[in-house]
Amino acid sequence: MKERFIEIFIKSFAWLSGLLLLSAAFVIIGFLLVKGVPTLSLSLIFGDTSPADALLLRRQVLTGLFPAMAGTCLLVLLSVGLATPVGLAAGIYLAEYSRGNLKSFFSLFYDILAGVPSIVIGLFGFSLAISLHHYVKEIYPCLLISALALAFLVLPYLIRTTQFAMESIPSETRLTAPALGATKLQNIAYVLFPRSLPGIASGVILAIGRCAEDTAVIMLTGVVAAAGIPGSLLSAYEALPFYIYYISSQYRDAYELQTGYGAAVILLIICACLFLAAFYLKNQLMDRMLYRQ
Amino acid sequence: MTENKSNEIKIKTVNLSFYYNRLHVLKDISVEFPERSISAIVGPSGQGKSTFLMIFNRLWETIPDARMEGEAFIRLKNKWVNIYDRSISLPELRRSAGMVFQTPNPLPMSIFKNISFPLKLSGVIEKQAVDEKVEFALKQAFLWEEVKDRLSDDARSLSGGQQQRLCIARALTLDPEILLLDEPTSFLDAGSGQIIEDLLLSLKESCTILLISHYMDQIRRIADRVMELSGDTSNNS
Ligand SMILES: Nc1ncnc2c1ncn2[C@@H]1O[C@H](COP(=O)(O)OP(=O)(O)OP(=O)(O)O)[C@@H](O)[C@H]1O
Ligand SMILES: [Mg+2]
Repeated sequence: MKERFIEIFIKSFAWLSGLLLLSAAFVIIGFLLVKGVPTLSLSLIFGDTSPADALLLRRQVLTGLFPAMAGTCLLVLLSVGLATPVGLAAGIYLAEYSRGNLKSFFSLFYDILAGVPSIVIGLFGFSLAISLHHYVKEIYPCLLISALALAFLVLPYLIRTTQFAMESIPSETRLTAPALGATKLQNIAYVLFPRSLPGIASGVILAIGRCAEDTAVIMLTGVVAAAGIPGSLLSAYEALPFYIYYISSQYRDAYELQTGYGAAVILLIICACLFLAAFYLKNQLMDRMLYRQ
Repeated sequence: MTENKSNEIKIKTVNLSFYYNRLHVLKDISVEFPERSISAIVGPSGQGKSTFLMIFNRLWETIPDARMEGEAFIRLKNKWVNIYDRSISLPELRRSAGMVFQTPNPLPMSIFKNISFPLKLSGVIEKQAVDEKVEFALKQAFLWEEVKDRLSDDARSLSGGQQQRLCIARALTLDPEILLLDEPTSFLDAGSGQIIEDLLLSLKESCTILLISHYMDQIRRIADRVMELSGDTSNNS
């Protein structure tokens, strides 16, 4: 009787917790949509510039969100693009090659890196930019420095998810290719890695989200309120999360605050598109590696 | 049982002992297996039958704290080689000694890719040759008719018996001289088991087969000789 009661209690508690989280997510997204969607318009994005001119980079957008959107997309692509190869390689190394003490040492180190607050990483990026400036006058806090700092921020996720995905492959699958004459590298390339792609993809998606939303790192490493589309890797840039932060602390009238919500909705949409792209890429890769003749 | 004494020796071990850390599994085994025959390996559970098979493709070497003493020889391409010699290439050895496990282990990819996988590993990429090999191996394993129209389906969608024949076909694509089979029918129903037995009988024309089996009637039907692993002695009959 008592056990039955405990079981019911635990079950309803678990159920309620799940429901709570789900409704919280709904409330947040609903709130954003209600506040933000009415402000969405071409002029919010492009200001007084014509969209065609803006997209073809013929004229700078001065009052719209377009430069911030472009900055966020560039930033995410750059930092995830920099972090992914390194993260995958390190994850594969941890799962397949390192053993014993060295492995524990590396794991501890990556866990520490995962625990470093983003503001500290931002500070580090800032110091890096300053010290580099002594040698190369062109280097200020800029897109490249931000991307590097963000890459460091997300590397631990990528490494750990890759490692975990590889290590959770059952030993029968692991021994299949060697028993057919595969070298270790062939086993990794043809079996273990493709098998781990779903896990790796979730790590990449996590990394994309983290890079898109981060404000602390970029605030110290190159983002500014008005810069236009960045001309090169070494120029300052705008970004959506920073715009949201800036506008919500400095707004002058109700409309400006509203545009903050609009920017948040656009940020969500951009994230969703990037997630879908990552997902699509993963499916294509798996199909190519495992099924197509 | 048809004892085939005239066949030449294909595989032999000399004073072979095997340890998992401190657990002494195989004790001083010296045996010989003739070529083009089916040799059954029997014995109670946990006596080291699976371990014994892994000696011949050196698959145990990935296991931490495992250790072997003694020697093992195989007559490959009509030349005796000590398979634990430094000069032996592991991938090449494993291509000459194919292994099929107790549980079917198709790779998570299409049927075609499973069968052509060993070819890819050994660098055969010419489309025509690969297609021919795949078809030949599937026919050899009595599976071609059942899968020829669905080669790009996931191999895991096949039935258990089909999966096991797929694994045998996959081991056959590289024309191995030796086939190591670890209880290949233990998870299958009688019908699928029968097909695999027929398959093994047809394969012994070209391969030397070592087969672990728990079924006495199966051994009576297809084995040419029986080796028993039990307690501290191994009997060779
Ligand atoms: N990876 C391993 N690490 C440590 N000990 C092992 C390992 N694999 C097997 N053993 C031990 O070695 C002994 C022999 O195992 P093995 O799998 O070769 O037996 P088997 O005769 O094939 O048994 P079964 O008929 O149940 O398949 C067993 O006592 C087992 O516990
Ligand atoms: Mg066994």
